[in-house]
Amino acid sequence: MIRTEHLSKVYRMGEIEVPALRDVSLEIEEGEFLAIVGPSGSGKSTLLNMLGCLDKPTSGAVFIGGVNTALLSENELAEIRREKIGFIFQQFNLIHSLTALENVALPMFFAGVKSDARIKRAAELLAKVGLRERMHHKPSELSGGQQQRVAIARALSNNPAVIIGDEPTGNVDSETGDAIMGILEGLNRNEGRTIIVVTHDTEIAAHAPRVIRMKDGRLLEE
Amino acid sequence: MKDIFLLAYRDIKERKARTSLTLMGIAVGIAAVIALMSVGYGFEQSVTGELVEMADLIFVMPGKANFGNYMELGSFNERDLKDVERIGGVKEAAAMISGMEEVEYRGEKTVMRVIGIDTRDISAIFGEVVKTGDGRDLRDNDHKACLIGHSIANDYFDEEIGVNDRINIGGSKFRVVGVLEKQGGFRSDVDSSIYITERDAKSILGNDEIAQITVRVRDIGEAELIAEEIEERIDENHKLDDFTSAMTMGSAITQLKTIFTLLQAVLVAIASISLIVASIGIMNTMLMSVMERTHEIGIMKAIGAKNRNVLSLFLLESGMVSVAGGVCGCVLGIIGANVISIGIGAAFGEAIPAILRPEVLLGGIVVAVIVGVMSGLYPARKASKMSPVEAVRYE
Repeated sequence: MIRTEHLSKVYRMGEIEVPALRDVSLEIEEGEFLAIVGPSGSGKSTLLNMLGCLDKPTSGAVFIGGVNTALLSENELAEIRREKIGFIFQQFNLIHSLTALENVALPMFFAGVKSDARIKRAAELLAKVGLRERMHHKPSELSGGQQQRVAIARALSNNPAVIIGDEPTGNVDSETGDAIMGILEGLNRNEGRTIIVVTHDTEIAAHAPRVIRMKDGRLLEE
Repeated sequence: MKDIFLLAYRDIKERKARTSLTLMGIAVGIAAVIALMSVGYGFEQSVTGELVEMADLIFVMPGKANFGNYMELGSFNERDLKDVERIGGVKEAAAMISGMEEVEYRGEKTVMRVIGIDTRDISAIFGEVVKTGDGRDLRDNDHKACLIGHSIANDYFDEEIGVNDRINIGGSKFRVVGVLEKQGGFRSDVDSSIYITERDAKSILGNDEIAQITVRVRDIGEAELIAEEIEERIDENHKLDDFTSAMTMGSAITQLKTIFTLLQAVLVAIASISLIVASIGIMNTMLMSVMERTHEIGIMKAIGAKNRNVLSLFLLESGMVSVAGGVCGCVLGIIGANVISIGIGAAFGEAIPAILRPEVLLGGIVVAVIVGVMSGLYPARKASKMSPVEAVRYE
C-alpha cells in the first residue's frame, strides 16, 4: 500500500544542514494499524508528512499504491491527499470560521461533490463519531475531544484508504485519547482502513498491532 | 461555484471593519472618476451645445483667428461680399461694418462697439439663436434707429435703457427699437453691441469697410468646404495668403472637444491616483489576510485543496470586495456629480448639468473589478504557492 525506499530529508537552517530522516525504508500493508513512536526530534512527524504527501523527501521515494509520488505534480499530490489520505492533527486544525458540518464537508467541496450530497455525508460522518447534536457548532464551541472527532469525520469525508494521525491524542486527556484511539481502531477493524499514527506515548501506541520506533531520523526496530 | 462564493463571503464577513475600509477606498476612487467625468461631460455639453445651434454659421474675418488670439489684418470690401454670396451652398451672407463709437445716455458716456447691418441679413447675422426680447427688429427704412444688446440695456449705464429710449451715438440721436435677449457664453459679444442700419453706420463711422461677414450655409455638412472656398476667394481678391479666416462652428466645436478631452484626461488622471491608492489598499488587505490565514491555507492544502482552489478563493475575495466597492463608487459618484453640479450652479450662477453616461458607470465597475483582481493576484498567488507542511505549522 505505502512503501518508502531509502527516504532522507535534510532541513536547511541557514548554513547548517539538519538531517531529519536518514535512509528510511518501510513497507505498510493495506489494512494495517501502525504506530510510529519516538522522542521529539526523532523524525517521526517528518516521516508522516512524507507518507501523507505533505512534504517532499530530499532523496529516496514514497510509493503509494505503486505510484512513485516523487514523479507527481503538485496538483496530483493534492489529489492524493484529497482522495487517498485523511489527516488528523494534534492541533485538530479545524477552520474556525466554519461549523463542524462545514469543516467536514470542505474536503468534499475541493473534490467537487455537489452541495446536497456533501451536507448529507458530512452529517452522517458526524453522527458516526457521536456529534449529531453539535453539527452546527463552531470549533470554538466544542471541547478538544469533540474537535478531534470533527477532525476524524473530516478525514473520512472523501472515503480515503489511509488515515494518518500526527499525535492525534496529544491535546486531549487520556480518557478522551483512549476514546479517539477506539474510533481509529474501529475504522481499522470494521472498515479495513490503513491507520498510521505518530505518538510519543507508548500507552497510546499499545493500541496498534504494529509499532515501529525511531531515533535520530532512523528506524530502530519493529 | 456557489459554494466558493459563500466561502469567500464568510471570510470577508469575518473581517468587517478592514473589508469595509478597503471597500471605501475603492468606492472613493471610482466615485471621484465618475463624478469628475460626469461634470466634465456636463461642462462640455453646456458649452458646445450652444455652438451646435449655430452650426450653420461661418464667421469670416480678416486676419488669423484662433481661440484666444486674433490678429486683425485689414478689412473686406463689397466685392468680397459679392464673391462670397456667389459661392454654391451659401444661403446668405451678411456684411457688418463696425467700429468703436462714443455712446451717451442721460449724461453718461462710454465707448461701445457699433455694428452696421443690412436689415435683410438679420437672420444670417443672428441665426436661430439671437432673438429680440423687447420691441422689434431693425427695418430697412429705419432711420437713426438701433437694436441694443442685453448688457447695454441693463449693465453699462446707471439707468436701464428700454424700448423707445433715446441714446446718442457718435453725436447723433438714435431711438432704441428693440433690446436683444441675453446671450452670454460664446455670443456674449452680441450683449455688448449696438446694431444700426448699414446706411446710418456709413455716415456715423465714416467708412464702409467690412469688419466681418457672417455666412449661413444650406447644408451644415458642406460648411468646412465652403469655408475653405471663402478663404481662397477673398485671399485671391486681396492677393494675400492667409488673409482671411473663415471659421465654422464645426471646427470650433472640434477644437473645443479636443480641449475638453484633454481636460477630461487630466481630471481622470488626477482621480486615478485615488484608484491607485485604493488598489494598494486592496493588495495590503489581501496580503494581511493571506498572512493571517497561512495556517488555514495549510489546512486546506493538507485536506486536498489544489493551488487553483486556493487561488480562486483569494481572487474571489478581492474581486467581491472590489465589485462592492465599484457599486458603492457609482452611487457615491452620482451623488458627487450632482453635488458638484449644484455647487457650481450656486457659486457661479451658470448651471452645469451632471451628465451620467451609462458607459461611464459600467466602466467604473469594470475598472473596480480589474483593480481588485490585479491587486488580489499577487497575494492570491502567494497563498496558493505555500508549502502545505510549512503553512500548517505556521501559528
